[in-house]
Amino acid sequence: MGDSGNGCVFCNIISGDIPALRVYEDDLVVGFWDANPVAPIHILLVPREHIRTLNDIPPGNNILAHLGQAARQVAEQMGVAESGYRVFINVNRGGGQVVFHLHVHLISKSLPGSK
Amino acid sequence: MSDCIFCEIIAGRLPATKVYEDETIMAFRDAYPASPIHILIVPKRHISTFNDVSDDDPLLSEMGNVARKIARELGVAEPGYRFFINVNRGGGQVVFHLHAHLIAGRDLGTFLINFAVAGSVLWRKVAGLFRGRGRTLE
Repeated sequence: MGDSGNGCVFCNIISGDIPALRVYEDDLVVGFWDANPVAPIHILLVPREHIRTLNDIPPGNNILAHLGQAARQVAEQMGVAESGYRVFINVNRGGGQVVFHLHVHLISKSLPGSK
Repeated sequence: MSDCIFCEIIAGRLPATKVYEDETIMAFRDAYPASPIHILIVPKRHISTFNDVSDDDPLLSEMGNVARKIARELGVAEPGYRFFINVNRGGGQVVFHLHAHLIAGRDLGTFLINFAVAGSVLWRKVAGLFRGRGRTLE
């Protein structure tokens, strides 16, 4: 888990030490509601492994494709895959990254279940 | 796929300022940049939306690798950038050939305001087109 430590809020959510509303889970990725949503749907998908930023994904590691697959599944599950959604990654401070544990935002203006 | 603007760019039949190319991906500058740096990262094969990428396809990892490579070359990897994909109309997708946006070079608050303004201008134009087709409303 590298430099995850106790200081990382997402590592603590993954371990269950900090509560979060989970919507997705597999061997590599956990998905949960953003605590401060900016849209009717705002889910964060995080790798279990502590990776700081998109820049730090080791070569040959396909975690991003796996995060994308999880995002598609969550969008489908929430009923917004067809109406539309946005997936984004903020990289470093100037890109708006606040928590330094790689995460994908999935947001949708549509309400859950709306087709 | 000649009706797809990105397929035309990839085939070299429409001009674009290319910044990266390999066997599977091409990246070029957005023709209507929303930020000083605004690059589109596009798979060469025609895939309509992000929903249409198969689960075992490593494509998103490849697109992410290209994004960080370009970010490094342009000197924004460390200060920061944003990587995003709009999916379907409600997600803001306009061209239905999968693409990721890489934006950087301006603080995001300003970017978001500009994005909203550009969106409303575009919306007015689109609404205008539809008005022009029907009877005159104004």
